[in-house]
Amino acid sequence: MDAFALLVGGILPYLTVVVFLVGMGYRFRAWFKAPQPGKMTLFPAPDSTAGGVLAETLFFPSLFKGDKVLWSFAWIFHATLALVFLGHIRVFTGLVDRILMAVGMSADNIGVMSATAGGVAGVVLLGTGLLLLIRRLTIQRVREISRVPDFFALLLLIAIIGTGDLMRFGPHFDLEQTRVWARSLLAFSPDVPRNGLFLVHALFAMLLIIYVPFSKILHFGGIFFTQTLVKRS
Amino acid sequence: MAQDTAHVGAGPATKRPEVVRAKESPVVDPEQVIRAITAIDGGPRVLKLYMEMCARCGTCASQCPVYYGKAEKKYNPVERSDLIRDIYKKHCTTTGKLLGALVGARDYRDGELEAWAEHFYTCTGCRRCATYCPMGIDNSVIARKGRAILEAAGMTPDTMQKVVRISLETGNTDGASPEAFKAAIEFLEEEMKEEHGVDIKIPVDVVGADYFYVPPSGDVLVNPEATTGVAKVFYALGLQDRWTMSSHYFDGANYGLFTGNDADMKADNKPYVEEAKRLGCKVLFMGECGHAYRIMKMMMEPARWWGDLPFTIMNCMEFTAEQIKAGKLQFDKSKNPQPVTYHDPCNFGRSCDIVEEPRIILKASCQDFREMYPNRGENWCCGGGGGLSAMDDIHEFRMTVSGVKKMEQVRATGAKYVAAACSNCKRQLAQLMEYYKEDIAVGGVHDMLSRSILINGKAAKRVDYT
Repeated sequence: MDAFALLVGGILPYLTVVVFLVGMGYRFRAWFKAPQPGKMTLFPAPDSTAGGVLAETLFFPSLFKGDKVLWSFAWIFHATLALVFLGHIRVFTGLVDRILMAVGMSADNIGVMSATAGGVAGVVLLGTGLLLLIRRLTIQRVREISRVPDFFALLLLIAIIGTGDLMRFGPHFDLEQTRVWARSLLAFSPDVPRNGLFLVHALFAMLLIIYVPFSKILHFGGIFFTQTLVKRS
Repeated sequence: MAQDTAHVGAGPATKRPEVVRAKESPVVDPEQVIRAITAIDGGPRVLKLYMEMCARCGTCASQCPVYYGKAEKKYNPVERSDLIRDIYKKHCTTTGKLLGALVGARDYRDGELEAWAEHFYTCTGCRRCATYCPMGIDNSVIARKGRAILEAAGMTPDTMQKVVRISLETGNTDGASPEAFKAAIEFLEEEMKEEHGVDIKIPVDVVGADYFYVPPSGDVLVNPEATTGVAKVFYALGLQDRWTMSSHYFDGANYGLFTGNDADMKADNKPYVEEAKRLGCKVLFMGECGHAYRIMKMMMEPARWWGDLPFTIMNCMEFTAEQIKAGKLQFDKSKNPQPVTYHDPCNFGRSCDIVEEPRIILKASCQDFREMYPNRGENWCCGGGGGLSAMDDIHEFRMTVSGVKKMEQVRATGAKYVAAACSNCKRQLAQLMEYYKEDIAVGGVHDMLSRSILINGKAAKRVDYT
């Protein structure tokens, strides 16, 4: 347990940060460097390229026109994921709580709000994640092009969401542990929480982050590049 | 009857022979194929991104005219693009190098180009997938890369290769001589004289004219009403001395776009730019040919193939639509009483945003204009895009797979005339009508205008166009 805790909580976080930043930097640089002569604009084009790309990134209008069922799964999944991502700021710092208390919320209220929003988000994420998996397995045109990495990415996400939900709905997990952990990581003397479920959750999450620059999940960065090409006004 | 337009197109005017692919398979160097694919690592950016970005969500397949016609794995756009993507992964991505087949990466398999020739020539290049892809991936770019690799290996289907060769040799895809062209023009002038009782000229080789008209050759030699329509517009505006055609360069069609051979595409394009300079025109006035206009407007000009241009590039439909909006042209719509619909050619709609202009012209010249749905940038391909329309060896595929959706769309309008501003679309559409025994005529946009525009207060006398 201690070796595992040290590995996941003490070593992997640094590795994750380095691999992710270097990996993404490398990919972005390669895309920037590749020349692009000629126009690829698809019409009707938006009035401003930036506006079109932003709309695509936030609301997936192309997908909405193309496949409304997938759009509803995908948009809810991504939007909730973004919310949960923001919610995790509270996991690592007490700052958010202090700000909320400064504007008059009690610690109890913050707890209730977090439990409600986080709980709903956790269930929605798990549900849409499973729907995306079911879709991949059952719709012929998707199934026939699905491969190991497609299932791996989805299953890894579902595993992260599942363990997160277990922590949310299981025995109380005191966020003070992770806040201490975050501070200790910044001070390069890791103080790792001794919670098995947490460690498994963190392990999966970091594996995903490490995997991003090498997988199709990097579409969250590449979309700006590809959409800029076709939305060029 | 639709048959009168059935032979519109960029192929030779003579009857096409049954076409089979390369008789003896050329020896293909696998290294050459792999080099062409690994070169993508350095760009163009668009292709490199498409190698690395697909989320494999299947949306493209649901919007593809080919997959709609037949939901087979080999017609799934992702599957087709994987032919190149998987080899790229093997050589150019970390996971591909480390994990190989586990992530779908694989090496080039000896002899597989044979199959590629079929696969990459069953994509119509319509770019509809890109319109709906959440990542903006345009599978037609990958298909064109596949065709470029086939071309380099000498495995471009004969039909396509022949069109390119004839065009590079003669300046037009029909292989027509300047004399044949002039004879055709004289014939059209006589026709217009009969129709209107006045001399409506089609000026040829006039140096110093403002507008240099470049249609697809089919609009002169095979289905010339579009060209008489343009001539009548100039006449009605009192501009009949301000435009010209060239007896050497009267075909904007450029199959280098379709074979993936950039050098051919540029070689085919250059004489037109040179001719425009020689004639001293102010406007390179492109006709009803989507890919010709796209190459000029979206590729040649912005990428500065030939540097600064002393002329602007305009499409004839933009010009005519402007004149109609300004109230400068009058029509007798009763000459076109039948229901008419417009098919947006992919290269005009999705790729160049010429969508309202043809509608303005058709609504002004026809009594009963009907939209087909979806339309404009979302329109379905006719099934003959990407040069497929000229390939008689895949006629059955075009009729029973790639053209199925278009046939349904046209039927749903109840129209008796489908206008399309594209020779390849017209050929495919006319063949569809024949194949499915539909009594629906196919033609161009200015064709309808030609039948109803008032010249000195009167529309053309001819009434029977069937």
